[in-house]
Amino acid sequence: MAGDSPPDPARVVSLELEAGLVKKPQVYLVLDPSRRALEVRSRGHVLDAITLAGIEVVTQQPLLGAGTPPAVPVPAIWIVKSGPGDADREIIAPDSLRPMPKEGEEEEEEPPATPAPPGPTPTATPVPEPPASYRARLDTGWDLWVCEALPASGFWARLTAAVRDGWTRLRGEGEDLPPALALAMNSDDAKRIHHLLRVGMPILVVAGAS
Amino acid sequence: MSSDGHILLVPTPPPRPPRPSRWKIVLAILVVVLALLGAGSTLVVARVGRPLDSSPLVTTASVSDEASEPERLRRRAAVAAAALDKVRPRGTIIVVDTFRNRLRLYKDGELLRVAVCSTGTGRVLRDPRTGRQWVFDTPMGEREIINKRKNPVWAKPDWAFIEEGYLPPPRDSEERFDDVSLGDYGLYMPEGYIIHGTLFKTLLGRRVTHGCVRLGDDDLEFVYKNVPIGSRVYLY
Repeated sequence: MAGDSPPDPARVVSLELEAGLVKKPQVYLVLDPSRRALEVRSRGHVLDAITLAGIEVVTQQPLLGAGTPPAVPVPAIWIVKSGPGDADREIIAPDSLRPMPKEGEEEEEEPPATPAPPGPTPTATPVPEPPASYRARLDTGWDLWVCEALPASGFWARLTAAVRDGWTRLRGEGEDLPPALALAMNSDDAKRIHHLLRVGMPILVVAGAS
Repeated sequence: MSSDGHILLVPTPPPRPPRPSRWKIVLAILVVVLALLGAGSTLVVARVGRPLDSSPLVTTASVSDEASEPERLRRRAAVAAAALDKVRPRGTIIVVDTFRNRLRLYKDGELLRVAVCSTGTGRVLRDPRTGRQWVFDTPMGEREIINKRKNPVWAKPDWAFIEEGYLPPPRDSEERFDDVSLGDYGLYMPEGYIIHGTLFKTLLGRRVTHGCVRLGDDDLEFVYKNVPIGSRVYLY
């Protein structure tokens, strides 16, 4: 209508990108830096939401003469190329298989070497608790780093980190990491989205209110 | 005394401080040199290091500037909004949180029930004979309730035997059918995933299943009676 303010082009593109995602019956993540929110959605419906303590770009820089960190083009869809949701799995592999005992037959059991201790019936083997800090590699070449706290930015903290990293590098154990978008959140939230960061998970990074 | 007999008072010079011993001088120099060497080494090592540096997120617009064409933008926004609205879930839906192991039942946006459930372990089982693998995940995404049954019977797949270390029996073997483990009701989704009951009530709230969603008896009955076939299930 005449007089209505024109729509924000970035917001329109965000809508169009999401309209593309909802064509499939998939779960996807929506990251809104302006609201510091990470949402789990499917078909446009919000299934869960996390409030972020902070969002920053994290890069490896020399102590002196740090370069300008790269800007992030938004809106955009990032795809997880490899993530902890795929790697952290327990594998069960029996050594061999034996025939089922026929009805009426009892399987011969070897007597236990030591008698079973008394007590409650054992429960299922617990699934390992996921970590609260981890990285996922994105198709852009960046990492998505979920963490409880962003790296300290004070001079002495950086000096300490530089000495530690330098010593690691001099020992030949240094690691060059790609730039990362760090999402700081509380540990419970970090653990509960750990399994979502697996190969193929789309992450829609929106611009403006959504 | 002076030559004319007066007493002259000659100020006594202040006592000279005792000269430090040679060892203390050497030690002081050594400490200074070591401190300088240490500081220098630290700076050299620090120069090699590449610590993580965080900076505020700066975004750039990845869109062309169409601010001069608001009508086109409005049409595009309307098309996108319509596409989203077309698939947005309505009516009765189930949402399963596989980390917290909670099943939430909604009707027309109103939360009807929150139930403790059990979901998949995420473990991988490998058949030692063929190397075939099964991943015990509760699937993520949108599914649909395609069938409902009372007193469901479980047709045990091969993995149910291999996991116990047994060879799978023939397909028509009686050992394949279990009419106890699934409880009183079953709500079926595609690919063999079922929302069903459990004998192991104490394990509800934990990731212990092979992919299905287990509920306690009361919650299962409520879900069975209130979720029509065709309802959507969202699992994450």
